[in-house]
Amino acid sequence: MGQKGSKIKITETDRAVLELKRSKDEIHKFTKRTDQLISSERSELKNLMKENPRNYKENTKVRFLLKRIHYQEHLLERASDQLINLENMVSTVEFKLIEAHFLKGIQNGNELLKKLNREFKNLDEILDDVQEQIAYQNEIDETLSHSLAGVNDYEEEIDRELDRLNKEVNPEQTIKLPSTEGLASLPEPVHKEDLKDGMPSQKVEKVPGTEAVLLS
Amino acid sequence: MQLEYPPIYSFPPLYTRQPNKIIRTKQIESWITIILDLASKNKLWTISKDGTIENSLNIFQNNDIGRSVPPLFIVEIMKIMFTNGQLVSKSDKKSDFDSDLSNEFYILWKPIESWGSLILEWFETSNKMNQVVTLYELGEGDESIGWEFHEMPAPLLVKSLKNLVSRNRCTLIKDENDKYIAMKVI
Repeated sequence: MGQKGSKIKITETDRAVLELKRSKDEIHKFTKRTDQLISSERSELKNLMKENPRNYKENTKVRFLLKRIHYQEHLLERASDQLINLENMVSTVEFKLIEAHFLKGIQNGNELLKKLNREFKNLDEILDDVQEQIAYQNEIDETLSHSLAGVNDYEEEIDRELDRLNKEVNPEQTIKLPSTEGLASLPEPVHKEDLKDGMPSQKVEKVPGTEAVLLS
Repeated sequence: MQLEYPPIYSFPPLYTRQPNKIIRTKQIESWITIILDLASKNKLWTISKDGTIENSLNIFQNNDIGRSVPPLFIVEIMKIMFTNGQLVSKSDKKSDFDSDLSNEFYILWKPIESWGSLILEWFETSNKMNQVVTLYELGEGDESIGWEFHEMPAPLLVKSLKNLVSRNRCTLIKDENDKYIAMKVI
């Protein structure tokens, strides 16, 4: 609205409505004219009657005038009926136009809905795909966690090696160790047997390790 | 026509061209006010070059006090009104005051833009937007009774509507004789 370059289009229906309205205007003009005519003829009639107060009933002109007035009134009535008809017609047409707009809106909406629904058509496919992708992701995660475990092992090895090196570099600590081990050695065997099988084996593993270091 | 005039209308010096420029400006202003007031109150739309309103009443002639404005001064007043946009030529062609051949002007007691806006307001309030409306319907129809532009001469209506056209709110429709008969306003 009101933007430059947007010309207001006159459609075929506009032209048709215009024709209707023009005929309506014609009738409107006619009723206006007839109204004026009737009132002027009435005053003329009254004047004539005033001039001939006795024999006005015999006066042909008086009779003629009154007849004319009646006829004009009859015409006026018909004209106003037609006017109402035309007005109703115009408003019906205008309402129909709005209805047509409504229909167009519905159609557009339907079209859009169809289009959108069509996009949902390969929903199953997509969902399957998504499922697949999730499964694949899980697989990847698993693999990754596996390799991570491997890294952990490696780090344990490094720790062990560092411990070994530490013993080598700082022998005083090894001297100190016996004293603590001596304290713990008493409950240790009891623990070892009570605990899981894994624990002793670890200890066993450690023992050859230290030997290896000593050998090298 | 029984018209009501302001008291100043019976003031004899009003009819003599005042030599002092400041006073004369005031004097012409008074004349313009008288004419525009009279026109708007009684819905008088036209004035000829000699000051005859609606072909029947010469505003510059006051028979009650036996005074009239000299023709040259009438032209001066009318010219000022023309440049003020308070008078507009009857013809469609754009022209200045002196070369205007129509010899008759429309009195605009409202600027043409205001008339356009008023008509637009009518379209909005009477729910006529986006519909074809005939000039007759706008100016003479029952639906515009009580609006200031009711009974406005059709050419002046067209002029006001052309203002709406330039504002991109209106399209004028011509009939088979190339005469404007209807419009559509959005």
